Amino acid sequence: MSHSSPLVSADLIWEIARKQNAYLVKRNTQGGLRFSCDPLNLTNTHSRKHAGFVNEKAVGIVPGEKGGVTLITKKQGSAQKPSASTKTTFSKSSRKTYKSVANHVAKSGYRGDLRAHAVARASAIRKSQQSVKESPAPKLRGGKAKKAAAESEE
Amino acid sequence: MASRPTVSILSADGSVSGASHPLPKVFTSPIRPDIVQQVHTGVAKNKRQPYAVSEKAGHQTSAESWGTGRAVARIPRVSGGGTHRAGQAAFGNMCRSGRMFAPTKVWRKWQQKVNLGQKRFATVSALAASAVPALLLARGHQVSTVPEVPLVINSEVFAGAAIARTSTAVGLLKAIGAAADIEKVKKSRKLRAGKGKLRGRRHRQRRGPLVVYDPEVDGKELARAFRNIAGVETCSVFALNLLQLAPGGHLGRFVIWTSSAFKALDTIYGSTTVPSVLKKDFLLPQTVVQQADIGRLINSSEIQAVVRAAKGTARTKRAGVQKKNPLLNKQVLLRLNPYAAGYSKDKIGTKGLDAGKPERATKTPFAKVLKEE
Repeated sequence: MSHSSPLVSADLIWEIARKQNAYLVKRNTQGGLRFSCDPLNLTNTHSRKHAGFVNEKAVGIVPGEKGGVTLITKKQGSAQKPSASTKTTFSKSSRKTYKSVANHVAKSGYRGDLRAHAVARASAIRKSQQSVKESPAPKLRGGKAKKAAAESEE
Repeated sequence: MASRPTVSILSADGSVSGASHPLPKVFTSPIRPDIVQQVHTGVAKNKRQPYAVSEKAGHQTSAESWGTGRAVARIPRVSGGGTHRAGQAAFGNMCRSGRMFAPTKVWRKWQQKVNLGQKRFATVSALAASAVPALLLARGHQVSTVPEVPLVINSEVFAGAAIARTSTAVGLLKAIGAAADIEKVKKSRKLRAGKGKLRGRRHRQRRGPLVVYDPEVDGKELARAFRNIAGVETCSVFALNLLQLAPGGHLGRFVIWTSSAFKALDTIYGSTTVPSVLKKDFLLPQTVVQQADIGRLINSSEIQAVVRAAKGTARTKRAGVQKKNPLLNKQVLLRLNPYAAGYSKDKIGTKGLDAGKPERATKTPFAKVLKEE
């Protein structure tokens, strides 16, 4: 439940916001794909399970400002206070990131169903932060190689 | 039911002033997007201005048909000569410079009557939705920096025309964490596509917060202070409008209340049992369910006390598992044939019969008897 009132449940919110919401990204190609740009959505897919703004418990993983990843989780019971409703934890470098992400998401029964998604997203972000290794200059072969060798001798 | 929730009243710097007010009953109204959308379509039509093409358009010529026999279509043709226009077809909707098909008239039915009960239902529904942060986010409002929803500011902040300048109004919005929403509006300003640009609708932009005030207590100066901030609208609490509470028929407008306006809501809308003071014959609509959270309903002690225990064992049928070959898989074999355990343990399969060599037929007692006979 994302509201202090018992009259509004997460299911109701989803039914209201399912057809249109600010996070929904529609694609006419690929059979009308539906994506979500919700920061609390790990897979960026428009679905009930991953809709972070709907669920009482939700996990978001975004790139950290100084490298590494930032984990955002929703606090329970403070839905009516948006500025105090998320908790952020930072992690930097190494495999420990995945361990800590998995622990935060799944241990103590927060959102066990999102563990794999969370680790995958953290991994993808970490991969994107690594500098791309420059590919070596192509090795010349055949006539071009002879020409180059002759040039270098001169 | 739990005690009535309260909403804290914020001071000018966005901090909790300590004072609070119970949540007005109108916020517990059912949230019905279907009704809101339907009413919105009707109400949105009521500010239209009539338009039509000129009555004379396409008919300002003395064209006559040439009739048959001239190997041209029998459409009316412009008479005379000496100009290219002469002999051209006229009047028809298919003709160049002809009249349009079914010329628009100013006496079209521009307004739409919407039943008062439905309009009131839609308004209270939109108000209830404005207190759900998730719906505000779904509408696109940047409310993650806002201390509380519904956002109520102490009326003392506005007292004595204290907020009469735009700069002070902007300062207030920043202090209460609404700056992100205004920034979003500013960035969203785009040139409109199409002819609307020429018709006084040059730009399109998002909607920001709606400031709702009580003109008797807060004064009207704040409306002037807020009116030049992009996206921000002001509205008297006595004249709340669905077009502002649910723009585009989408629920969840970010509303900033003054405390006096917030307190006035209970007198304006009443409750499900106490009729409204200001609206004739109006009781708040009731929700069909008191608890919308199905999971909580199922797990409630009332339900759990009366449900019987599930029949059968807790074993679930495993569908879609791979069939194992009992000849190769020992465990599966044992499940099918418990005897197989002892069979393999005692190595019965490799033992063979301990009967030794079979007796020769000539040496059997029976053979002896035969011989004697």
